[in-house]
Amino acid sequence: MSNKNLFLKSGFIRAPIQNGVGRFVPQLQRIVLKFCKTYGASQGLREFIEQDLVDFAKENPSVVVYLKPRRHRGPVIVAEYLNGDRVWMSVHNKTHSEITKWIEVLRTQQGDISSLRLRKYQYTDYPSVQGPWTPFTFKDPELNTAQLPDPHFGANDRLPITATEKLRLLFEKQKLSDVKTAE
Amino acid sequence: MSACKRVQQWATFARTWHIFDCKWQDPYQSAGVIKKYLMGMHKPIYHPLNDCGDVVVCINSREIALRGEDWRRRAYFHHTGYPGGASWTLAWELHNKDPTMIIRKAVYRAMQGNLQRRHTMERLFIYPGEDIPEDVLQNVTNQIRQLRLVPTRLDHIPEEEVKNYPKVMDYPEDYILK
Repeated sequence: MSNKNLFLKSGFIRAPIQNGVGRFVPQLQRIVLKFCKTYGASQGLREFIEQDLVDFAKENPSVVVYLKPRRHRGPVIVAEYLNGDRVWMSVHNKTHSEITKWIEVLRTQQGDISSLRLRKYQYTDYPSVQGPWTPFTFKDPELNTAQLPDPHFGANDRLPITATEKLRLLFEKQKLSDVKTAE
Repeated sequence: MSACKRVQQWATFARTWHIFDCKWQDPYQSAGVIKKYLMGMHKPIYHPLNDCGDVVVCINSREIALRGEDWRRRAYFHHTGYPGGASWTLAWELHNKDPTMIIRKAVYRAMQGNLQRRHTMERLFIYPGEDIPEDVLQNVTNQIRQLRLVPTRLDHIPEEEVKNYPKVMDYPEDYILK
């Protein structure tokens, strides 16, 4: 599939390298909440700021929280991550509980995963146990020392036996049985 | 990518050379086999967009065998592009002019007419006889099996073997062989 004319990034599914084994490195670096003090569309975000924001900041000392009040503009959340991704999200008319859930999503995800087209839905570091195929897999080892071209390797070996050959084999067999009876 | 994986990549996509003996082979049936090797369709990693085609060296193209009346009846068409520039060359005439041409055209026609075809044809080497350049031969690591058995002439079989071959009957003493 060609993806040249799409702006969506593509990539493979993968876990953060060993994150959480031994220690956990928080991936969210900074979160900016932009809101208006008067508009109704910012109502949910304002409630979140009044009730939950201080607890959120205390629980996540590694996250820098900015508040940016601005007059007569829509409410927006911008999250920045350790890998440099920046997620912009409009929370226009979202309720308090919805915003709580979205901020939890932004806090726990690693980078901007929603704007990534997955090329495959599975990923493994070890695609094959027996090793990837090469042109010399399953090859006859006799070919290593053979002097090519050689009729032994070039002749068709899948044809049915000819009548002449069959007759010759019958004769050979008869000769053998003659020898045995003579003895 | 680690050094080990890089080597693995080279190994998987290595271009191998095959040799094919055209002696007594039908070029139009062999073309289907040669085409598969040229395009890499015999590999499990085949994909039309990946460059996995192999090199095929055809020898003895002078000794191909055409079916039925084909040597006399089959015509190869060419047009120079000028008015009256059409010409029809019979198979035997073409074969006398260039003994590699019939097999080359057969392979060319066996492939689909896309942009890749001419580049794939560059990987086909055809030699009219047995002797091929040393630098070509030393790359060859595999031989493609022929489709037909090569018949052996009676006067090319050693006399000892002919004498010992089982006979169903003997000719009478007074029988005159034509």
